[in-house]
Amino acid sequence: MLKMRKQDNIVGYFLTAPYLFYTILFFVYPLIWSFWLLFHRTSIISRTREFVGLENVYQALGSIKVFAAFIFTYKFIAIFIPVTIVISLFIALLIDSLSKGKIIYIIGYFLPYLASGVAMSLIVRGMLSWNSPVSQFFNKIIGYTPDWFGNSTLAVIVIALMVSWKHSGYYALIFLAGLQSIPDEIYDAAKIDGVDFWMMIWKIIIPMLYPAFYTIMILSTGLSFAIFSEPLILTGGGPYYATHSWQLEIYRQTFEFGNAGYGATIGVLDAIVTFVTILLIKRLLKTWGGLYG
Amino acid sequence: MVRFNNRRQKIKKLKIVLIYIVATIGLCMSVYPYLYLIIQSFTPEAEVDRVLVPSHLTLESYRWLFLGAGAKRPWLRALFNSIIVAGSSTVIALLGGAMVGYALSRLQFKGRDLFNNFLLFHMFYPGIILLVPLFLLVVFLGFYNSYLGMILPKALSLWAIFLYSSFFLSIPKEIIEAARLDKASELRIIFQIMIPLSWPITTVIGLLVFLRRWSELLWDMVVITSYDKMTLNVLLATMSTGEYVDFPGPMYAATFILTFPLVILFLIFGKRFTKGISLAIK
Repeated sequence: MLKMRKQDNIVGYFLTAPYLFYTILFFVYPLIWSFWLLFHRTSIISRTREFVGLENVYQALGSIKVFAAFIFTYKFIAIFIPVTIVISLFIALLIDSLSKGKIIYIIGYFLPYLASGVAMSLIVRGMLSWNSPVSQFFNKIIGYTPDWFGNSTLAVIVIALMVSWKHSGYYALIFLAGLQSIPDEIYDAAKIDGVDFWMMIWKIIIPMLYPAFYTIMILSTGLSFAIFSEPLILTGGGPYYATHSWQLEIYRQTFEFGNAGYGATIGVLDAIVTFVTILLIKRLLKTWGGLYG
Repeated sequence: MVRFNNRRQKIKKLKIVLIYIVATIGLCMSVYPYLYLIIQSFTPEAEVDRVLVPSHLTLESYRWLFLGAGAKRPWLRALFNSIIVAGSSTVIALLGGAMVGYALSRLQFKGRDLFNNFLLFHMFYPGIILLVPLFLLVVFLGFYNSYLGMILPKALSLWAIFLYSSFFLSIPKEIIEAARLDKASELRIIFQIMIPLSWPITTVIGLLVFLRRWSELLWDMVVITSYDKMTLNVLLATMSTGEYVDFPGPMYAATFILTFPLVILFLIFGKRFTKGISLAIK
């Protein structure tokens, strides 16, 4: 049994004081404020405050733009998460089976993660610009240049794949850590039993990687609700709000149109949707984990 | 029997070579956009985004950025701002993380469990809900359009506290007790024993916090209005959708300057980082 030391109390409070101060000032207080904003019409510039009841909420729920953000995020998730998981698992398996020079490959695959959303968007915009080598290539193969950011389906796909490119190497590292924690005896036993490659992946490796899957699912879902730089720079949320993300809508409403109350309301809605989605995914993962025991 | 063994060995060798080839192709695809970026930033203006291999290399884009029309915007200053903001945020996150993490994992003070539970709640709270009220708060506190406005509200990393606190638990308590017997203060224990013993975690936290702060767009964009306080990432973003949109060459040059320091940092600490991250994930 750990015994209490008297001075632990004093030192403990002293060391946690910065966190306590930070939390009250920059978390609890704004949190309360955000619920106050929910019921008020107020601008970021002027000091006018007007109680409007639930008007902000009604407006947000009836807004086409908010609905577009809602739909875009799920479309994004539907492409981004499966693609990223398959690619990063593939990279992890590949790196795990290398005998020499692992570190070079790990670092190489991780490098895309260092590009900021802005940097990545600018590179992709250039790569897909009219008359660029990539567009010329498509022109040759299919006879025309796809309108990358003018077609609503294509724009979502490009943004999702771009973010996927950025994160695959990072998630591969998480998978790799999981792979390295699988004891060699399990592989050996499976080999003796004559288990083939695909069986090995489906029945042994993927179930053993459950914790890694869990982490990656939560991380990537959270990230999908926080897309901002990419649509801002590449599409401006268009065409027809096809790539209009939650954060873009909050940014526009609050800082371009100045409606702080309405912006905060969308923020609360976004948080609720994010929370419910993550909860659903956790539930889903638990049933899946239960299947394998 | 011998021939059979030979053939099996050959197949095995072939398999290894094949894996290396696939891994290398994948690697090229993974870093290809960077290669594209570097080459395009040294390409003559007329050929940018038109060819993969330029007719000759030139510094034209960089010259335009720093000496030509692009010099209207303070690019070097922005790079300096990025270093200040990301650097100080990293230092605060590391110090705060270690101090609070130590208290939450190694000290038996009243209310510790409450702290720990609240931290988990705080950590998984979608941060977007705070954007607008936090902005109003920063304006109210007089930090609008200042370094403090960028740094303070995002300074303490909960994730760092959490990682440190779980890693400190794996350090044998005998080490701490021995230090206490030697009359070392708790702060000395943290800075001279705990942090050096957890360097893999420190590397991971340091690099990722720095990287995230360096790449932050929304918050820094909202808080800062004057060009001379913008981070490089924000300055580049404002440039990309305005008057400079028809100058892709200098844009690549600026993107290169934005990304290059991180790549260097990562090549230096990459090995430590990969070691640390497998510990951090567990």
